Amino acid sequence: MSTLSQLLPKPKFSSDSIESQNKVSHQSGKNPNTLSLTRKNEIPPYGKRSGWTPKTQEDFGDGGAYPEILIGQYPLRMGLKKQKKGQVLSKQVDSDGNVRYDAIARYGHGEDRVIQTDFKELIPLAQRIGTAGEKLIQDRPDEELVMETAQRTREALEKKIDGKLTASKPRGQSKSMESGSSYIRYTPNKDGPGYDPKMSQRIIRMSEMQIDPMEPPKFKHKRVPNAPPSPPAPVLHSPPRHVSVEEQKAWIIPPCISNWKNAKGYTIPLDKRLAADGRGLQDVKISDNFAKLSEALLAAERHARDEVRQRSLMQQNLVRKEKESKEEHLRLLAHRAREERSGVISGAKSSASHNQTLPPRKESKYDSNSETEVEDSAVNNNQNSHDDERAFKREEIRRDKQRELRRDLRMSKMGAEAKAKYIAKMENRDISEKIALGLAKPSSISESQFDSRLLHMNESSIADLNDDEGYNIYDKALLKGSNANFNYRPHSEIQDDSEIAESVSKSMENDRFGIKSGQESSSRNGDKSSKASNIRSNPVEFEKDVFGVDQFLNDTKLGLKRQREN
Amino acid sequence: MDQLETVITPEYSESKTRALFLADYGLDPSIDKVRKKPEDISSSSQLILKKQESSNSDKFYPPPPGQQLVRKQNYEPTRPEWHPPWKLIKVLSGHMGWVRSLAIEPNNKWFASGSVDRTIKIWDLASGTLKVTLTGHISPVRGLEVSSRSPYLFSCGEDKMVKCWDLEQNKVIRHYHGHLSGIYALSLHPVLDLLVTAGRDATARVWDIRTKNAVHVLTGHKSTIATVKCQGVDPQVITGSMDSTVRLWDLAAGKTMATLTHHKKSVRAVSLHPTEFGFLSGSTDSIKQWRFPKGDFVQNFSGHNSIINTLSINSDDVAVSGADDGSMKFWDWKSGHCFQEFNTTVVPGSLDSEAGIFASTFDVTGLRLITGEADKSIKIYKEDENATPESFPLNWKPSLGRNRY
Repeated sequence: MSTLSQLLPKPKFSSDSIESQNKVSHQSGKNPNTLSLTRKNEIPPYGKRSGWTPKTQEDFGDGGAYPEILIGQYPLRMGLKKQKKGQVLSKQVDSDGNVRYDAIARYGHGEDRVIQTDFKELIPLAQRIGTAGEKLIQDRPDEELVMETAQRTREALEKKIDGKLTASKPRGQSKSMESGSSYIRYTPNKDGPGYDPKMSQRIIRMSEMQIDPMEPPKFKHKRVPNAPPSPPAPVLHSPPRHVSVEEQKAWIIPPCISNWKNAKGYTIPLDKRLAADGRGLQDVKISDNFAKLSEALLAAERHARDEVRQRSLMQQNLVRKEKESKEEHLRLLAHRAREERSGVISGAKSSASHNQTLPPRKESKYDSNSETEVEDSAVNNNQNSHDDERAFKREEIRRDKQRELRRDLRMSKMGAEAKAKYIAKMENRDISEKIALGLAKPSSISESQFDSRLLHMNESSIADLNDDEGYNIYDKALLKGSNANFNYRPHSEIQDDSEIAESVSKSMENDRFGIKSGQESSSRNGDKSSKASNIRSNPVEFEKDVFGVDQFLNDTKLGLKRQREN
Repeated sequence: MDQLETVITPEYSESKTRALFLADYGLDPSIDKVRKKPEDISSSSQLILKKQESSNSDKFYPPPPGQQLVRKQNYEPTRPEWHPPWKLIKVLSGHMGWVRSLAIEPNNKWFASGSVDRTIKIWDLASGTLKVTLTGHISPVRGLEVSSRSPYLFSCGEDKMVKCWDLEQNKVIRHYHGHLSGIYALSLHPVLDLLVTAGRDATARVWDIRTKNAVHVLTGHKSTIATVKCQGVDPQVITGSMDSTVRLWDLAAGKTMATLTHHKKSVRAVSLHPTEFGFLSGSTDSIKQWRFPKGDFVQNFSGHNSIINTLSINSDDVAVSGADDGSMKFWDWKSGHCFQEFNTTVVPGSLDSEAGIFASTFDVTGLRLITGEADKSIKIYKEDENATPESFPLNWKPSLGRNRY
């Protein structure tokens, strides 16, 4: 130590007093630091104060500031701004020299307060040092301690309860107005102002003034603000984990939105409404069976369509085949007939060939119809030169028939559209005929369509209304009245055969064209005829000779005539 | 390895500790053994030198003795005691709402249940028959307690009312008025005529039962107090709050003795051990065991990961935790080992989401467990008498890995 002080340079500022103090401390063998704290302050005399500054209140020695020391001085703390208390904590060190950081947590708390500040408080007791082997949790304290604690607590609480009870109890009149009065002997100060030497002593009676119990409080009751809270206990757990986005999303609860109530009339977006509906929360699950069903239906439909198409094809084929076979048959017949005829002709030329052709003709007799038989017989009977012509005519008829059949076949094979077109074409062609035959009906306008008031107006008024300039020729119906076109309307009621027969006979009776009618019977007959005409059910119909029967008959007649002539 | 140890031992007095640390951080010393050629001594010594160098720069260098927080080599997890498994024996239905509170009578004849349907029902414990229904609360009944010193039943509810029922007349004889919001918990002092209630106004109020005066208003919690318990010795009041702290109170002074801030989420359940001087507190995902009187953290009962609504302990060192999702776990008090866990089966006709346990209590003997549930039923459990340690072996796997606290 001495060597070190020798090595070090001499101190610039050194006071004898400190030196002497140090010496004293060395002699007493005490710690110099502790002594320096308790050292006596010595104020240097006037003139020797360079380098000295007053630091404590004692340095002022109940006096004022030192004017020659040029620093701010606050003797008796005058002019010193009030410092807030408790801003700075002194550093505390425990017996091992470790800094006690828990002082900040302890600040403001009593000594008995348990404050856990160490890391070791986080470690389970069994794993801490010095706890191994011992029983960690003791048994409950015995009854004695319990009773002792209870007694202590009871006393503390009773004090509090009693105070509360007395405070809550209504206070009556002051106990003793008279007894409360006391007498005081008062001797005033002689030097005091207003001293009367006559009254060197006074006796004063002190008594409590009666208080009006209904008097309002004299002082306003002010609420005392809360004291600052004690420092919080050190937190001995890890900070909470950050919430991940998924977790946050999982916690989103859609707002409660009613479909029926919106008291404040907020505009609620549609998606929020739907979210509140709760339907979106459930996944819509459509069963696979729906898809299966629709697929099966589709397949079944396709299958059915295929079948129907095939069946119709088969049927068409069958029909065609049948027709073809028929035609073939007809052709065969015609051929045979032609052959026979040619055979006859050839037979006329040479009988040998006729004999040869006989057996097949007899065979064909089974198949041939009566017509051929007739022809055969005719051929056999009259072997004339008109055969060719007749054969030609027959051939023509046959061709016609064939054409007809072909057309029918075509028609049957035609598509619906083409058929409709065809029919339309046919109808168009026939329209004039229809009109002639009364098939085309004039549009039936029911009378209810007109305003009845208009109809009931007399002619003059209408005439007045309708001037010449007016274009009103077609305003009136041409055929007016219920009987206008009665004839050409089908009757609604279905007539029996007997009725029809009757009507026919009646119509046959009356002379239609007034040939037989006399003057005397004209009125009656006229009525009758009108009646008969009324009765006729259907318009006169002409039928087109589709199959050429008339012609055929004519031809046959002609043929017969010719044969006879021949 | 032997050589390694012999060389190192003079250098480090705590070679064992170090080896343990190495093992802990996954640095297997046997790796060196594989690399080392045993016949070549010089090479092995080089390796040791290298190892020393590397260990000097090692991050996980063990702290000097005296500053170690954990004495690893000495810590052995306690072997749990065997307890027979518990099984359901009775389901009582009668309430029209969640059963939120239960209280057993000191004579063990009957128990009371308070429900969200605003009624208190009193049931016979042995037969399970309904004895009486008390109406008077206008909101869910959240706390119940039967006095052991008087024929009184105390109840509190979310309607800010604390009622004192005289069970000889089945009438309310006292009201304790003062709470500013719903009251969630109630507890009676075992020795003094005091009643402690706590609730949503973040205060616990101490009432003098006879005079109906609020003796103390224990303020300090920053959020709803979910549970409160009383005991005869200091700390006489323990509260668990939604500000995730547990506070121990000095009843005589009306001040906090200690604040336990270990929990991360709201503490909904606190339960005192009937014979030992410790308690359990349960918050979401964690149950912690504490020691009185200072509130030293003893250990975690880890594994119940849900919102724990209730905790009960009987004198046979069985602790039960019941959760909001209907899961129940049975723990060994000493070791914190979960020896049984199951989910409650909901009463037929109720939804799956109605599995939830709100209240639980052991009867006075500790042989029956009564739970109040979200499916509006009360369930009674008991121990399986036929169970033996052979038929239900202890499934205990002590973990040697590092734990986080």
